[in-house]
Amino acid sequence: MMIPLLKVELFKLFRESKTWYAIAAVLLIEGIILTAAYYQGATILELLLDNLRQSFYFEGNLLNGNLLLYIILNSLWFNLPLILMIVSSALITEEYKNGTLKTLMLQAVSKWQLITAKYITSFIFTALILALLMLTTCILAYSIFGSGDLVVYLGTLNFFPAEEAFKRICLAFASGLLSMLFFTTVSLTLGILLKEPAKTWIASAFFLILCSLLLKADFGVPAVERFFFPKLTNAWQHFFEYDLDLNSILMDNLLLAGYTVFFALIGIYLFTKKDIG
Amino acid sequence: MLQATDLNKSYKSGKALHNFSIQLKSGVIAGLLGRNGAGKTTLFKILCGLVTPDHGTLAIASKRAKPIGAVIEQPGLYSYLTAYENLKIFAQIQKAPADLKSVEGYLESVGLPLNRKDPVRNFSMGMKQRLGIAIALLNDPEILILDEPFSGLDPTGVASLIKLIKELAAQDIAILLSSHLMTELQKCCDYLYVIDGGILVNEGETNTLLDGLISVYTLTATNIQACAVLQPYLLTTEKNTVSITCSSEQIPAILQNVLEEGFAVTSCVPNITLEQLVIPLAK
Repeated sequence: MMIPLLKVELFKLFRESKTWYAIAAVLLIEGIILTAAYYQGATILELLLDNLRQSFYFEGNLLNGNLLLYIILNSLWFNLPLILMIVSSALITEEYKNGTLKTLMLQAVSKWQLITAKYITSFIFTALILALLMLTTCILAYSIFGSGDLVVYLGTLNFFPAEEAFKRICLAFASGLLSMLFFTTVSLTLGILLKEPAKTWIASAFFLILCSLLLKADFGVPAVERFFFPKLTNAWQHFFEYDLDLNSILMDNLLLAGYTVFFALIGIYLFTKKDIG
Repeated sequence: MLQATDLNKSYKSGKALHNFSIQLKSGVIAGLLGRNGAGKTTLFKILCGLVTPDHGTLAIASKRAKPIGAVIEQPGLYSYLTAYENLKIFAQIQKAPADLKSVEGYLESVGLPLNRKDPVRNFSMGMKQRLGIAIALLNDPEILILDEPFSGLDPTGVASLIKLIKELAAQDIAILLSSHLMTELQKCCDYLYVIDGGILVNEGETNTLLDGLISVYTLTATNIQACAVLQPYLLTTEKNTVSITCSSEQIPAILQNVLEEGFAVTSCVPNITLEQLVIPLAK
């Protein structure tokens, strides 16, 4: 029963105009960043590295495809999760709004299967968007700017050779996917709770901002710093620290995956217990 | 087929349903009559399993995957999809036949055209109701529940929907439909339940229930206001139309006398208000 439900959910998702608006928004942001980098990137980079050039000699072009990929990757902080959360929560809130959820529940379909199919659809959509973002950026950034070493500022300037940089960017995208899945899962669960699209968008945006603020906050309690979910949403960023602690990143990702499953289970439980109507 | 006993449901705003019992039988069209907010939709949601009652029992004698098909409030359709696509996806999710021939069969069964390729947001309310019914009938339910199916329909749409409902009942489907409009239910229901404030206030076979209560009839004929036979019964007069007060037993004789006086009566419509049906048991 799950496969037909999944097929139908994906069919509906890609027939909705808002899905294509979301995809267009993601690609437009990517295009704007690349265009800005093409015209102004070199000047900005010169300003940033001006002091260092007096002490060091830089070989090759630092405004390259890897740097652009890293910049695009930073859209995982806010704009990408926000767009994904809006689309994901609409999977349920639009059904409530248009009365189609009632029609669905009047068919021979179980509640838990329907809502699980919606969570899986949201996962698939999130993965597809991230893959599309990475693929289009790779094609455009490497064809326009070429490859080269990556310079990243994370408290200190870290330099990575081109091959190493690409490997880390790929891993960061994979880790970033888990972070995006976490946010989209929360938004779908919020949709089940709040039912109305506008309320759910506001709550999702609030949740995203709150996570960003809590990520920066210092709680002074080691357990909170290690296990509280806002502290795990930036695991992808750790791939650009010079000394790579793979075990720590893996643990962060596993914990975040656990939180994602937890929020999904809460959503499934609430949906199956709540009356429709 | 379906037996609901002593159903109760309360919301924060108050009691929506109080000890309500109802029975549906194969091939019988039952009507649920009540004002807006009387508890009709709550009852339907409980019967369809969308809402859990606080108390009461619901027994459905069916072994089918989908015993009840329903359209509750407005038909919930994907407005950006065509009628064909709507039917196809609702069929697919419950593993009902979803091939081209089957879906076209569903469309034809409710009298929808096969050549409409535009999204259902362009459809008239009547067509949306029909599509909603086609979706409700997927997977061959034995019971069909329709909530206010006539609202928003023009007279042609109402007549056509009544014809469809009667055809479905002839296929041994138990049908329950609600309305706050007496005339429509009167035209197609075999049995009537009257609900008010969440309470069952009256019930019975349509003819028996209404015949005992009808006391006003509207007669239409050319210059009928001049008819001498009708003068003792006259309530209101308009051009070519009069309302008279009499019992259902008197009406055949009165009509006979009117015809003998030379007035060709073209219609005789019994008038009954919802209030008349609510009052008897409530008293």
